[in-house]
Order: sequence, then structure tokens, then C-alpha cells
Amino acid sequence: MPPYHLIDPTRMLVELSYTIIVVFICFSIYYKTREIYDLTKYEGIKYFRITFLFFGLAFLFRFISVFVMLMGMTFDINISRYLFRIFPLVFNGYFSTMGILSLTYSMIWKELQIKHMLIVSNAIALLISGIAFFSRDPSLLIVAQAVLLIFTIIMAIYFYSRSRKISQLYILYVLFFLFWLVNQLALGPRRFIPFEIQTAFQLISIAVIGIICLKVSKWT
Amino acid sequence: MDIIKRRRDRMEMIFDILNIIRNHHNSIKPTPLLRHSNLSSQSFSEYFNELLEKGFIKEITDENGRKFLTLTDKGFKYLEKYKLILGFIEEFEL
Repeated sequence: MPPYHLIDPTRMLVELSYTIIVVFICFSIYYKTREIYDLTKYEGIKYFRITFLFFGLAFLFRFISVFVMLMGMTFDINISRYLFRIFPLVFNGYFSTMGILSLTYSMIWKELQIKHMLIVSNAIALLISGIAFFSRDPSLLIVAQAVLLIFTIIMAIYFYSRSRKISQLYILYVLFFLFWLVNQLALGPRRFIPFEIQTAFQLISIAVIGIICLKVSKWT
Repeated sequence: MDIIKRRRDRMEMIFDILNIIRNHHNSIKPTPLLRHSNLSSQSFSEYFNELLEKGFIKEITDENGRKFLTLTDKGFKYLEKYKLILGFIEEFEL
């Protein structure tokens, strides 16, 4: 009789490797931009770099969510299930929403100049993570973040039409958000995307964030 | 767009002031610095206080009680990194 596994070892290995690589790149970008931010206190740099701090944390909590989900029946007690499954989802929702808002604001702050942006984005992130907390359903979190993604795409199109030049950067950002959402689908009650396709998306998303990191390294 | 232009100008202005100090062998009195910077006294005073607060420059007093301004390590670092910072802002359209 083959050995019984609570966790699918292949999927766990892929998720763990993916998380380590992406979190490392995110925190590298945050660290590499520290000096130029400390010197200038420039608003755009501030929101750009905290994006990657938030996404690094979001990817960590996403992994915890996936890990707990893959553990399946290990957590039989209701309280443990609640603690170990809902809280990572809530933190995941909070940090990723903050990341999406920060990166979007770093692109448009010159035009909008929102006072107390951190308070505004915290309020939105708390609302979205609150939805995840009370509904205990990752699907609603994915829908809420998809709305934010649409907002980002509209912004990108708006600036594209204003500047009349194709910005590779906006395309990278939109892809980055899109792959984040695809990754979030792994948290759903049913597998929306086959494991192999999701792995392919994860590889492309590593390439996207890797390109952003290389661009950062050029100037830091 | 005025605000961003002001911010850019502000970064450039800080660079210019620090550069003046460096070009004077890293030691200049406040009055010649004001003259070289081509700023109004009020604007100069704002930049001067900001540079002191942020630790880009420091005041030193010689044995005759005369005040001089010199760059700190952070000030030198700003000058060294200025082009890279502008490049970064351009690259990421920040």
C-alpha cells in the first residue's frame, strides 16, 4: 500500500519554492530602494517600495493559507480551523490590497495628490479583509481585488491616452496584479485552474517581478 | 502637474545647494551660499533649515566664532546618488 500523505508533496514543493522566490524578490526591491527613499523622501518612491513590502507579506500569508488548505483534515477542531484558515486569509487580503493600492497610487499620485493616502488605503484594505473575515470565503476577496485590478487597468489606459506612448511598465504592473489574482484562485474551495497551468502562471509571474527587480537594480 | 514640478525643482535645488558647498572645498559661510544659490532669503532659509534638519549639512564654528557650512556623509551621498535617483524616478514614472 502506498504511503498516505496529508499534503500533496509536489504541489507543496512548488508553492514553497514559488513563495520563497517571490518573497525574496519583493523584499529585495524594498531593501534596494531604501537608500534613495531615505535621501529624498520622494512620495512616488515611498509608495513604490512599500508595494513590494506589502506584496512580500501577502505572498507569505497566501502560502500559509495554501499550506493550511493542503493540510486538509489535520485541523479537525473548529477553533483551529478558524484560526489557521481565516486569519491568514484576512492578512493576505489586507496586505495584497495595500500593495495594489500603493502601486496604483505611485503611478497616479502626481495627478491626484490624495491627502492621507495611507489612511484611505488602510480603510479600503481593512474593508476588503473584513469581507474575507466575515464571509470566510476567498472568492469574495478575489472579486473585491478584481475590482481594484479593473480600476488599475482603467488608470493605465487613461495615462496611456494622455501620454500617447506605450508604457511597458504599466503592462508589467497589470500583469503582476493579474497573476496575483490567478494565484489567489488556488485558495478557492474548488480548483478553478489545473495545477500545471497555475504553475505556468507562477513561472511567468516570477519573470514579471524579476524584470521589475532588474530595472530597480539598474538604478540602486 | 505644478506640484510635481515643484518637487522636482526642490530636489534639483537641494542638489545645487549641496554642490555649491562641495565646490567650495566643503566649507562656505551662509551669506556667500545664499548669494551663489540665487534664491530669495526666505526660500534659502527654508532650504537651509531643511538641509540641517535632514542632516545633509552641518554648521561648524571656528576659533574666531565664524560659522561655516559643510556637507555631512549624507550630503555627499545625495550628490553621488542624484543622477541615479532621477533615473529611477524616470524609469518607473514615479
